[in-house]
Amino acid sequence: MDLQEGSTKDLWKDVFNTGSLHYCFNCSTCVSGCPASHGDPPLLVRNLARKVILGLEEELLEDDTPWACVSCSRCDEMCPMNVMPFEMILAIRQWQCRNDETLVPSAIVEIYKRGFTQAVGVNTELRESLGLPQLHTITNNPEQLELFREMLMKTQIVSDNDYMFKG
Amino acid sequence: MKKEEKEMQLCFFPGCNTPAIRPDVERAIRASMPVLGIDLVDADNYVCCPAFGSFPSADEEAWMATSGWNLSIAEQKECDFVVQCGSCYSSLRMGRDHLVHDAEKMAHVNELLEPTGRQVTGKSKVRHVSEVLFREVGPEKIASQLKKSLQGLHGVVQYPCHTLFPSEVVGFEESPRAPQGLRLLVEALGATVDGYSRELDCCGGAGGFMKSTPEQAIEFARAKFDAILAETKADFIAVSCITCLMHMEKVQNTFNQQLGEEQYKIPVFDYNQLLALCLGFDPKEVSAICNVPRDPVLSHLVPVKPKA
Repeated sequence: MDLQEGSTKDLWKDVFNTGSLHYCFNCSTCVSGCPASHGDPPLLVRNLARKVILGLEEELLEDDTPWACVSCSRCDEMCPMNVMPFEMILAIRQWQCRNDETLVPSAIVEIYKRGFTQAVGVNTELRESLGLPQLHTITNNPEQLELFREMLMKTQIVSDNDYMFKG
Repeated sequence: MKKEEKEMQLCFFPGCNTPAIRPDVERAIRASMPVLGIDLVDADNYVCCPAFGSFPSADEEAWMATSGWNLSIAEQKECDFVVQCGSCYSSLRMGRDHLVHDAEKMAHVNELLEPTGRQVTGKSKVRHVSEVLFREVGPEKIASQLKKSLQGLHGVVQYPCHTLFPSEVVGFEESPRAPQGLRLLVEALGATVDGYSRELDCCGGAGGFMKSTPEQAIEFARAKFDAILAETKADFIAVSCITCLMHMEKVQNTFNQQLGEEQYKIPVFDYNQLLALCLGFDPKEVSAICNVPRDPVLSHLVPVKPKA
C-alpha cells in the first residue's frame, strides 16, 4: 500500500484527537472481546485505529463496520493502553457524518421531532391497564418540545443539516 | 418495618423502550422500589438519553446538550437519576462524565441550555437500578420483605454490559470481571443461581450488530443460550436492562422458527419484575408482557410464611 499516495497526515486530529490513540500497538485485545467482531464483515477495532493513525481517509470514510458496534464498551475496559476504543468508534462515526451527510442517523431527526426514537407517552390505554400513570413526556408538551428543538437547532450537526429536521 | 428508616428519593429516568413497549417493567419498578424505601419522582419532560446510535454517533455537541437537558431535570429535583435501561444509564453517565471533567464543554452546554430556563452543574449522579438495589437496599433487606419466593427454581443472570464497562466511568462492582450484584439479588428472592461459561458474554442486542449482520448476531446469541442449556438448570433468565430483556426473548423465538420446534423457551424477566412478584404484586400488572411464556415460573412462586 502506498502510504504517501493515499494517506492524509494528521487525520487523527480531525477524527479522534487524543494522545493515547498513538499508544495502540495493535494487540487486538479490543477485537477478542467484541461481539461485532463475529459479524460479516467483522468489526475489527484495531484496524480502525490503524486507519485513523495512518491517515487512510478514503478507506475510513467507506468503512461501515463502526456502525455494527453494540456499545458494550468491553474494548474500553480491556485496552491495555487506554486508547478508549469505544469512544474512538463514536468519534469515527461523528467524523463520517461530518464528511458524508447521508450517514447522519435518522434517529436524531426522530429525537428532534418528538424527543425520542420510540413513541413514548402515547400508549395510554395499555399503561392504564397496568395501573400506570400518564407519563409527563415532552411529546405531550409542545412548549417544552419547542425549547428543546430551539436548543438543538443551535448545535452544528442540526443547523448544518437543517433541511432534515423541517416539515 | 421495625425501625424508622430514612427514605431515599431518586428521579426515575424511564428511557423509551420501557414506557413505550414494555411498560409492565416500568410498573414493576414503580411498584417495588417504594416498598424498599426508595421514593421515585418523575423526570418530567425528559428526552432520549441520547441513545448511542443517535447524537453520540453524529455530533458530540448535540450529545452533550441532550445529556445536559436530562441531567438538569434530576438537578431541579435535587436528587440522583435511577435508570434501568443499560444504554440510557451508560449514555447519561458518559455525558455527565464528559461535562464534569471539561469546564469548557460544561460552560458551552449551559449557554445552549440557558434560553430553555435550564442549567446543569453535574451535582446529580446517574445510578443503575441494580446498583441501588444491591448497594442501598441490599439483599438482606430484600429477603426480609418477601411475600413470595422463587425457592426451588434455578436462574441465570445477565449482567448489563453498560453497568460493567468501562468500570471507571459506569462501574459499581468490586470487580467488573467477576460481578456479583445481580446474582446476590436473585438469590435474595430464594432462587438458585447457576453460573455458566458464557455468563459475561454480551446479549448482542444493542447497537448495529443485529441490524448490520443479523445472521452472525443470532449465532453469537445462540452460543450463549446453548451454554445455558448445556451447563445450567435455568428455569429463567434475570436481566436488568430493557435491551437484554427484549433481545433475549426475541432471539429465542428466532432460534425456534429456524428449527421448526420450541427448543428454546427460557422465560426472561427484568429483575424488578421478579422482585415485584415476590413482593406480592399482581403478575397482570408487573409481568404482563412477554414473548416467551412465563407460566412455568409464575406458577412456582412459593408463599412466604410471615415471621412470628
